Amino acid sequence: MKDSLSRGRFVGGSLAAGAIAFGAAPNVIAAPTKEIVIGLDIPLTGPYSDQGQDQLRAYTLAIDEVNKAGGIMGMKVRPVQGDDQTTATVAVENARRMIERDGAVMITGGSSTGTAVAVSGLCQQKSTIFMATLTHGDETTDLSCHKHTFRRYIDAHMSARAMATTLMSKYGTGRWFHITADYTWGHSVFDNLVAVVEPKGAKTVNNVLLKLGTTDFSSALSQAQAAKPDVLVITEFGKDMVNCLNQAAQFGLTKSTKILVPLADEYMAKGTGDNIDGVVTTAPFYFKYHAARHPAAKKFVDAFIARWGTPPSNGAENAYTNIYQYKGAVERAGSINPAAVIAKLEGYKFTATKGPEYWRTWDHQGINSVLVMEGVPTAQRGGDIFAFAKVLEEHDGETVAVTQAASQCKIESA
Amino acid sequence: MITAQSLLQAALNGLILGMIYVAIAIGLTIIFGMLRLVNFAHGAFYGIGAYVGLVVAKKAGFGAALIVAPLAVALFALALDRIVLRRFYQKEPTAQILLTFGIALMVEEALRMIFGGTTQQYPLPSWLGGSIAMAGLQYPAYHIYLAAAIALVVVAVWLFIRRTNYGLLVRAGIRDRTMVQLLGGNVRLASSIIFALGAALAGLVGVAASPIYSIDPGTGFNFLIPSFVVVVIGGLGSFWGAVLGGIIVGELVSITQLVFPPGADVIIYVVMALVLLFRPQGLLGETEVIKG
Repeated sequence: MKDSLSRGRFVGGSLAAGAIAFGAAPNVIAAPTKEIVIGLDIPLTGPYSDQGQDQLRAYTLAIDEVNKAGGIMGMKVRPVQGDDQTTATVAVENARRMIERDGAVMITGGSSTGTAVAVSGLCQQKSTIFMATLTHGDETTDLSCHKHTFRRYIDAHMSARAMATTLMSKYGTGRWFHITADYTWGHSVFDNLVAVVEPKGAKTVNNVLLKLGTTDFSSALSQAQAAKPDVLVITEFGKDMVNCLNQAAQFGLTKSTKILVPLADEYMAKGTGDNIDGVVTTAPFYFKYHAARHPAAKKFVDAFIARWGTPPSNGAENAYTNIYQYKGAVERAGSINPAAVIAKLEGYKFTATKGPEYWRTWDHQGINSVLVMEGVPTAQRGGDIFAFAKVLEEHDGETVAVTQAASQCKIESA
Repeated sequence: MITAQSLLQAALNGLILGMIYVAIAIGLTIIFGMLRLVNFAHGAFYGIGAYVGLVVAKKAGFGAALIVAPLAVALFALALDRIVLRRFYQKEPTAQILLTFGIALMVEEALRMIFGGTTQQYPLPSWLGGSIAMAGLQYPAYHIYLAAAIALVVVAVWLFIRRTNYGLLVRAGIRDRTMVQLLGGNVRLASSIIFALGAALAGLVGVAASPIYSIDPGTGFNFLIPSFVVVVIGGLGSFWGAVLGGIIVGELVSITQLVFPPGADVIIYVVMALVLLFRPQGLLGETEVIKG
């Protein structure tokens, strides 16, 4: 009877199966017709999958609307999608496949500055426009800016400056303990916060860097508890932030310490429930706030809820607007030629869901408003778990964005 | 800053994390020992347990979830064993790995279709809340309860295997399956019991850990790979090897996170490689059971 199994084969088999698990997902074969192919490179699995899935809802809504209204210059938009798994190499391979095989003329999506910077580099090589979506690290439109990349989402520089007053009035100059996601974005948020609060007198007692996808935060949280800081900054995103904040509550830190989460969205608020009560955060968009002020926002939020039964998260709004921005630029250019489209985006002033805004020419950062918000308990959300915050302040993007003198962005000529 | 106290705190964190690995790895190792099955669907049992637990907890409370979810997972595992897996007992390990891995993917996608892909969490019931002063910390009481409960379950499983007639059959089956069959022992029954038991353990952890770790369809898979590492370090098929391996892996991760955080991800694989080089049968592996 063949019932023995060598250890070597067991281990080898384990590794092989592991490799399958991390492989790429299958996708659809392109059929060239008179259509515009847009590549959606988004995290559908992994720590930021809630955000990726909501982006997919927004893209689907926007593309269906565009196609129903006649497409872009008469050409139907055909989306192709790939799960970037919030892993730079996977995101780049997805984008490469979409461009080379599917004929994508624009890549959009993403929920991490790590993937955004990597995809941006590829799109520059391939002369393909990249409308980055949820990326908040400065690098995307600063050190690693590229001619073909546009980012409308707010960045860490804007968040930190927008919160400056609130940070002093609500959090103060005491001892600050940071738990930070150990990649480009986390570092960018940490650097910006420190640059804002340390000159005022705040003291950084520790910065525990943890890898993306950490589920157990006990180590960092017990260090935080032992350090007895005045402020605990959780620079984590997606599921990582949900796990970290909920475990922080179990460690009693939500009661003993003031907690700051520099960037949050509706799904993180849902996952953390009452634990986000009183936590200050920033966001580029909040469906309750903007829908009450801007007709275009209300139209979008209503359509999103009608289609999907849930309100859009801030990343979804960004995804939706990116499709319309690309459509508008192609129509103004009268061409899908990237150079012509870029010329029509640079410096373009528009009003979409948030009032007047524009694309800055020298770094391709979208200059639009930043919200400083404070979480409210679930009982005060009027039955909508996503209605998680009250808006404390709205800042004009111009006043909080990095200046050209301070930026390291040097955009290529082509 | 690393002090004696912070090391002690890291050790405590590591012990608790380790106990979670122990509960998952014990299932893997007894299933391998009895069925010679390399079960990549084990993470799926965690996932099913977590989601069934979530549904039951919302309707009937967390206590009910702790009982219903492992039972549901055990039933699912029994059905899986009877309908699919037993056809693969005698096949080569590659076929088993591909089969169980396929099952894991199907379960993950099914959970995604039924419950959606969004992160969910069962809030900690207030009767399990609070904190316990320990190692200079106000340590979350639930984390301690969880580790203690797993320790009790581990002892119970061990007693079942050592002290009951079924357990005798199981141990005999592990030693020489053919001989037990020739002597008229019902190896198939023993196999099913072990498979269901191992699965129920993973399901139980799926519920019990849900107030700490958020749930999504892929969660079970996150625990699967470290649990295999635990089994390899401890010794394939070895009960106490899984316990020792689980605690070692938990401690390694936790202490490395304190001392050198970027290494926390890699350290367990380094140690696994060292174990494979210098003690290929694993720390407590019994070479006479697993021919290698």
